[in-house]
Amino acid sequence: MRASFVFSEVVTGLRRNVTMTVAMILTTAISLGLLGGGLLVVRTIDRMQQDYYQRVETVVYLSADISANDPGCTSSTCSALRGQLESAPGVQTVIFESRQAAFARFQRIFQGQPELLQLARPEALPASLRVQLSDPARFPSIAKAFTGRPGVDRVTDQGEYLRQLFRALDGLRNATFVIALIQALAALLLISNTIQISAFTRRAEVGVMRLTGASRWYTQLPFLLEAVVAGVVGGVLAIVGLIVGKVAFVDRVLAGVFEAAIVPRIGYGDIFSVAPILLLVGAVVAALTGYLTLRLYVRT
Amino acid sequence: MIRLEHVSKSYRTSTRPALDDVTVAVGKGEFAFLIGPSGSGKSTLLRLLLREEVASRGDVYVADLNVGKLSQRRIPQLRQRVGCVFQDFRLLANKTVFENVAFALEVIGKPRHTIRKVVPEVLELVGLEGKADRMPHELSGGEQQRVAIARAFVNRPLVLLADEPTGNLDRDISHEIMLLLERINRTGTTVLMATHDHTIVDSMRRRVVELHLGQVIRDESRGVYGVSR
Repeated sequence: MRASFVFSEVVTGLRRNVTMTVAMILTTAISLGLLGGGLLVVRTIDRMQQDYYQRVETVVYLSADISANDPGCTSSTCSALRGQLESAPGVQTVIFESRQAAFARFQRIFQGQPELLQLARPEALPASLRVQLSDPARFPSIAKAFTGRPGVDRVTDQGEYLRQLFRALDGLRNATFVIALIQALAALLLISNTIQISAFTRRAEVGVMRLTGASRWYTQLPFLLEAVVAGVVGGVLAIVGLIVGKVAFVDRVLAGVFEAAIVPRIGYGDIFSVAPILLLVGAVVAALTGYLTLRLYVRT
Repeated sequence: MIRLEHVSKSYRTSTRPALDDVTVAVGKGEFAFLIGPSGSGKSTLLRLLLREEVASRGDVYVADLNVGKLSQRRIPQLRQRVGCVFQDFRLLANKTVFENVAFALEVIGKPRHTIRKVVPEVLELVGLEGKADRMPHELSGGEQQRVAIARAFVNRPLVLLADEPTGNLDRDISHEIMLLLERINRTGTTVLMATHDHTIVDSMRRRVVELHLGQVIRDESRGVYGVSR
């Protein structure tokens, strides 16, 4: 098999239908870019979940009585609760936060809003036992065990807020993948169409190749390679697009969010670890589409 | 070299079979005409030899290969041994004469040095030395058919099929093409030519196989076209 011959046939094919080639490459790039974006969102969400659930606390808010009168959790009620929590399964650490400490924290959080600070009083904030769970799934049993106990006002799970946030992020991820899938369908159809047109445009050559006894592989290979070239070039464009998107958009718009460590920063390393997947998917799916198109629609 | 044994071919869209219980054999190195009116089955027979179609019944042999039973993978090997020229030449318009003939060698993976040696030889055989760089549209009909013959012959096939090769050519040019086919036949290549050109058949006095409505009605070793029935 002569590589130079096959190569020149591929180049000829791509050049003859420049508009279709460009369309094919662009739609492939867009769907691979969306796939890459979805994968990056997945990575970010995973990292966020790890980060956040480590910091999340189960909070046992203590009654008004303890909040007002027991600044060191030395009363029997409070220390009993603390001891029971510490020994409960799945509990890592228990920290007591007095009313004053809670108020100091409140002042820190809202230091940029002096009107709010003016209105606030320590009496409005309850003391609490802040529990770090080694296994977030244990919250329901802790809540059940300690709700309604003497000295306990209520038990809340900060993780609940996170779950809502992550549900929303999951929704974003799913939407990205759905759009990627639809775009991918468009890209596949376009690749298939381009190959059919390419085969039609080259029907004289294909006819002569059949006549003179060229192997089926030799006849089909230029078309398959056209599709693979589109897949790979589309993949490269998608990677470039992700980089440009990161630098020009994500880094700028989400700068504050990254700095506050609310969302882990998306780095070049993330993009480069997703890059091989995009190239592989692009090449393989394009080749498969090409092969199926040739089998079903083109007589070679 | 070519053997058809009780071959029939029916198409779904037609009530009458295109070929009806045809048994005929063409020996190695023979030159035979396949004659008959349009619709008699000439083209169908040639297509069976190339495995463009498969016989509905019977066996088709080319160089001892049972053509109908060949696997998909081995069909190209058959076609490398059978050259074919057509009434419409079927040249590639955007390639030169040299490239058109070389194409037949390139697509079966022949190395460049072989191509550079063999193509000029064949062009000389068909009388086109000096025109290697011309494009098909710059050639006359007769010259284009010579290129087609060169392409069909360059791989030294065992059999050369010709489906109305002089159909688009005038009398004098047709005669030259026939001389060329005879020259090729003299190299040992079996030639089977489908035609309804009375003059050529009559002037060459070779084997004549006449088809009518899909059946062989005449098979003479030194025949003429005769009166069509």
